[in-house]
Amino acid sequence: MKIKVLKRTENELKIEVEGAGHTLCNLLQKKLLENENVDVAGYDIPHPLTSNPIIYVRTKSPLKPEDALLDAVERAKEMNKEFGEALKRLLQA
Amino acid sequence: MLELKTLESDETNLRLLVTGVDTPYINAIRRIVLTEVPCMAIDEVVIIENSSVLHDEIIAHRLGLIPIKTDLDGYNLPEECSCRSEFGCNLCRVTFTLDREAKDEPVTVYSGDLVSENPNIAPVSDKIPIVKLGRGQKLKLEAYARLGRGKNHAKWQPVSLSAHKHLPKIRIDAEKCNACGKCVETCPRKVLAKSKGKVEVVDLYACTMCRDCVDACPEEPSAIEVNWEKNAFIFILESTGALPPERIITEAVKILDRQLKEFTDQIAEVQKA
Repeated sequence: MKIKVLKRTENELKIEVEGAGHTLCNLLQKKLLENENVDVAGYDIPHPLTSNPIIYVRTKSPLKPEDALLDAVERAKEMNKEFGEALKRLLQA
Repeated sequence: MLELKTLESDETNLRLLVTGVDTPYINAIRRIVLTEVPCMAIDEVVIIENSSVLHDEIIAHRLGLIPIKTDLDGYNLPEECSCRSEFGCNLCRVTFTLDREAKDEPVTVYSGDLVSENPNIAPVSDKIPIVKLGRGQKLKLEAYARLGRGKNHAKWQPVSLSAHKHLPKIRIDAEKCNACGKCVETCPRKVLAKSKGKVEVVDLYACTMCRDCVDACPEEPSAIEVNWEKNAFIFILESTGALPPERIITEAVKILDRQLKEFTDQIAEVQKA
């Protein structure tokens, strides 16, 4: 996975994520929008075969968009960890 | 609170009731199971002799689609293997050989005729027909199975089904319902039943939320209401037999965690720049 910055200001970030798809982007979008200091969060895959997804985040200051993204990933990770643990318990039982 | 419950589980099927997750998360797991969890499939075939009626390419394609019991721990993905060879090595490739000839009688070549170099890596079923040979025809080949991912070719999908649906919520208004039984008759999945002058939900998980029962109810407005729980899902997974379903979903969780970690690292790079 590789991230290319397309636009970056104080409270805006537009990135192209090489090697990602709906799987990750839709999850991150949801988690970003759960944060009330995030103004706009969305992603687009301009062409289904030839392009990478573009994620756009706009935040209310003082929250930085990079921090909003990190927070979103962290919450997605937490849900995944909880699911993994629940699965482990279920399979052991 | 995240909770899991097994609804059905056998060698190839797994049905879970998942509560406490949102749609994007369960969808991510579903998509990863389909496209990212690796399994083995025949990828390259060296045809030594083929006098059958099928072209080499068609036989190679048919071989590729045979599900193969996979050992995820013993083998590497070709792109991650230390051999760095296009041809592959013992750690990223399994060789199969096949040699059949029809002498006086026509024979059918089955997946069971493939001889593996590793007895643990073999076709899931021995009864998949590959080609029929007429009298005097011969098929001799060497095939190489490799690990791969479903996003590159459907033959590397470890599942034939990976899906999720909302958990249905059926509410019957006891005051309005006169137990006429019209909804019970209409329901195509036999979710409802009449007992002791009352309509009851007997098989909630079978409900497809088609709402035929709502339309069938003569009361106005309908005495029966069909809805769904927002954060509860039924997750259905049907393995091809390449990997046990429990292993597939465990791998999916691991892969998602790895992808999220990679994303975090990349964002940290952006912050530094």
